[in-house]
Amino acid sequence: MMKVIQARMLPWAVGLLTAVVIYLVFFVVPPAQGLGDYVRIAFFHIPMAWVSVLAFLMSAWWGAGYLRRQEMRADRLSAASAKLGLVFVVLATVSGAVFSKLTWGAYWNWDPRQTTIFVLLLIYGAYLTLRAAMPEPRRRARVTAVYALFSFLTVPFLVFIIPRLYFSLHPSPVINGSGSLDMDPVMLGTLLAGLLDATLLYVWLVFRSVGGKDKEALP
Amino acid sequence: MQQSIWQGIKLVFIKELTAGLRFKAAWAAMFMFALTTLACVSMALQGGVVEPRLLAALLWVCLFFAAMAGADRVFADEDTAGTLLTLRIFGPSQAVLLGKMLYTLFLLVLLAMFITPLFLLLMDVTVAAPLVLWGTMLLGCTGIAAAGTLIAALTTGASVHSGLFSILMLPVILPVFLPAISLTAGAFGSGGITGSYLGGMALYDLILLVGASILFDYLWYED
Repeated sequence: MMKVIQARMLPWAVGLLTAVVIYLVFFVVPPAQGLGDYVRIAFFHIPMAWVSVLAFLMSAWWGAGYLRRQEMRADRLSAASAKLGLVFVVLATVSGAVFSKLTWGAYWNWDPRQTTIFVLLLIYGAYLTLRAAMPEPRRRARVTAVYALFSFLTVPFLVFIIPRLYFSLHPSPVINGSGSLDMDPVMLGTLLAGLLDATLLYVWLVFRSVGGKDKEALP
Repeated sequence: MQQSIWQGIKLVFIKELTAGLRFKAAWAAMFMFALTTLACVSMALQGGVVEPRLLAALLWVCLFFAAMAGADRVFADEDTAGTLLTLRIFGPSQAVLLGKMLYTLFLLVLLAMFITPLFLLLMDVTVAAPLVLWGTMLLGCTGIAAAGTLIAALTTGASVHSGLFSILMLPVILPVFLPAISLTAGAFGSGGITGSYLGGMALYDLILLVGASILFDYLWYED
């Protein structure tokens, strides 16, 4: 019963929240100092980048679930998460490149975060290529789960080492080194709403894409 | 009598080495690929002056893609020859993985020892810090061997082989590749050699080794 309510309520909640976020971004958020109206792109770009990383984590998590329990549902969830992750990472890359051109004068300059997102794009591409190259479902589930977990080993490097290797044009994180918040409250609220909206959209889409296949798999 | 893991690793390594020396195609492909790539780069540059960072990147691109031409065969050859099942029955997973990894490392070190002096000669490079260069080479080869052996096991049974190994390897090996280029550029005289990069590479190699060791059991002991 709860699952049915969730399945029916979630699309409405996502739709409503998306409308609210769009309204906030275009009509409430003030232009930022130095960036002007270009800052509005960031309210779509950051949630897309967040979900790209979340989808990667969840794909590895469900991959580990498959290796533990051998349930094909975990493999379907892992694959669905990777497919959505690829879409989100492309959107994050494109929106980031447009923002980069408008503010820094070039679409691409191998900034640490651009490098990170590009590596993520390569991992998603590699994972889905491996799936396409494996004809036998059980073997496919096993090898892609192993690859998802193995490629997850790059995360500490992407987060901690890459930023030390290259100079970054990106602003420092919202929560800075001293642990305090350094952002206009309206912008922060809108950003948090955008993050929640993108996360719920991801959750809805991933379970929706697996739901149909679960029904097909029933005896 | 149960053999120790070390004995198992040694036996798998000797088996790989014997097979490699008997059927030289994989060795020849790898070394000739490296030589061809290096010749292309050298001819294209025509003795022009090149920045140390670009030189370092070119050397690692030659090494990486030459390694890709040979390191992907460690499990595929067994599959083609029909010996994989026998190895699966008689070989403990960790002995097979580590034996094959050691063999791949041996092959890659030979490749680096072959291509690096030729590269220095043809590109007229003076090495300011030879120990850093060879330390970087060793750590780079270890990382490629650790990741390459697991990924070679993953691609066994794939319907498409051409290019798949490189596609899967590149994102995983980038954490070795990028610091290796920085360190090699430093060894070629661009300055800025950071000991923490060497430490970072060694740590990531260890992470790859442990990760491959844990995950390999899931591939080896199938239902």
